[in-house]
Amino acid sequence: MKRVFGARATAAAMAIAAGVAGTLAIFGVFGAHGAVPRTGPLSVDAGLEKPPGAFVRGDGLYTEKGGRSELGARVSGAMIGPLSPVAVRSSDGKLVAYNTWQELKTVDSDQSFSRQGIAEGDALGTPSLRVHDDAGRDFLLARGAYSAAWRQDGAIAFVKGFDPNFRAGRSYTGQVIVRRGIHGPDVAWTTEPAHYVVYSWAGDRLLFYRIGLGEKTELLVADGPGKIRPLADGSAIAISPDATRVAVLSEDATNVRVLDVATGSEQSWLDVTTATPPLAWVAYSGSWVGEHIVAPASAGLAVFHAGSRSLELEQVLSLDRTQFPVGVQEPRFLDEAGNEIAASADIPPAKGGGGVSFLLQCDRIARSCQRGEPAPAKDWLRPVADSAAADEGGH
Amino acid sequence: MKMRAAIAGALVAVALIVPANASAYLTWFEFTRQSNIASTLTMVWQYGPGWYGTQSWRAGSGVSADACWVGHGWLPTGYYDLKGHWDNYNGAIAGRVFYLQNKPCWNGTWRTELFVHSEETAGQGQYCPTAGDDPYCWEGDYDYYSNGCIKVSRAGYPSDLRLVHDGWHGRSGDYRHGYFTINNWLYVRG
Repeated sequence: MKRVFGARATAAAMAIAAGVAGTLAIFGVFGAHGAVPRTGPLSVDAGLEKPPGAFVRGDGLYTEKGGRSELGARVSGAMIGPLSPVAVRSSDGKLVAYNTWQELKTVDSDQSFSRQGIAEGDALGTPSLRVHDDAGRDFLLARGAYSAAWRQDGAIAFVKGFDPNFRAGRSYTGQVIVRRGIHGPDVAWTTEPAHYVVYSWAGDRLLFYRIGLGEKTELLVADGPGKIRPLADGSAIAISPDATRVAVLSEDATNVRVLDVATGSEQSWLDVTTATPPLAWVAYSGSWVGEHIVAPASAGLAVFHAGSRSLELEQVLSLDRTQFPVGVQEPRFLDEAGNEIAASADIPPAKGGGGVSFLLQCDRIARSCQRGEPAPAKDWLRPVADSAAADEGGH
Repeated sequence: MKMRAAIAGALVAVALIVPANASAYLTWFEFTRQSNIASTLTMVWQYGPGWYGTQSWRAGSGVSADACWVGHGWLPTGYYDLKGHWDNYNGAIAGRVFYLQNKPCWNGTWRTELFVHSEETAGQGQYCPTAGDDPYCWEGDYDYYSNGCIKVSRAGYPSDLRLVHDGWHGRSGDYRHGYFTINNWLYVRG
């Protein structure tokens, strides 16, 4: 019996060894970069040693090598959330425009205005845009302004409010302004005052939002001063590397369409609720390199393959909801192949604590991420977005 | 003439003493976030010290559970003042609407232009011209999704929207329309 068992055990061991070798061989072929990316869970571990690029946090601008430069004011996306980058670097790499918020009245988010003695029209805060240069100089670009986008030639677009202060019970209305240089004169590109948010340039065309009742987002395109046309109801995921196309998201966050920016014509379309695997929703502010688009999604991250006339859901990377209950924001590709993805992740406050933010760097082939140290959510830990260059779209 | 003036004066005095509605109770709403399309909106009225009545409806808010996501996440938690109420609001949101104050979420992002509403026309009707999702037409559960607002159903008779609307007027005795403020009209818990 023993002998028999031994022979069987030997055979079984050989079979297992062969199986393991085969598995290793398969991993060797398909597990390496360049292999087919597969849908599945993302494993996230602490210990991101080097950030995936420059980032801002509080009143600091940090390089990926660990250098810190003091900003003139604390960064804040209070007026934009993830609709537009909190900090964005100019195309020549020398300037970083960033959003700030000067609090004029402390507002307890758990209490109503009336309970805090805040009356209709009271000034609550002032958004401003500042610019930080590579020599460490920091200056005010515009007071009562937010959401910046650099054009390739150094022109900068932003929203400037009629009243610099954000007031209780009032909509923050303004105009979209373009300056040919940071010290140039303001040229209004919009003609109607509204609640706008600048998104990005697509070549010489400017994409921006009009925010309506119920936070309805409408994506508009400006071909020049006063030359405004609606592009889509909804929001933008990313602009193609050649700046001719934009991936837009329907208002209900379920349909992704690729539009020609110049004409508004639809190139391709996908309903993510009927894709494989199906998704409940996709969110705005992603990134596009080559033929790949990445966007936040109900599961975690969605990667699309965008052909010239086709759009397919290539991969869904799911995040552990107990670890990341509200997913990730503003994912962007780090490499030309579109395998490495950086993003920020927020964790809402638990009882007795405040919310926190992390930077994440993920390998979508290995389906693994590393996360950096947590920072208080009100520090606005966010990567510095690069202005769309010739080889990378979106923010 | 003097008699008429006296009667008119007496009527005015009575009108000022008697509430507009005999059942004018302190009334407010509570929204309990459970999921984007299946949360609970509860109307609460206090009809005596320590005595409360409630009525609840299914309601939705946002597409995701991140209250800091403009135009996407559900409503931030906390107390809200009411900014106004209309029966025939005419805009991207229409019909019977309740306009809420702006609110910062937990990282400081301001959520703005927030309402309690449904999907109906300014005339409180249904406009369903396509087979797809029409903005002034309640097609089904999917319509509970919003950019952040609280939405209740417009289906059936009486619809939840009508019950919310009529319930508010009936319980509170407040029949005002247009811009006005009611302190702490809504509490959102999550």
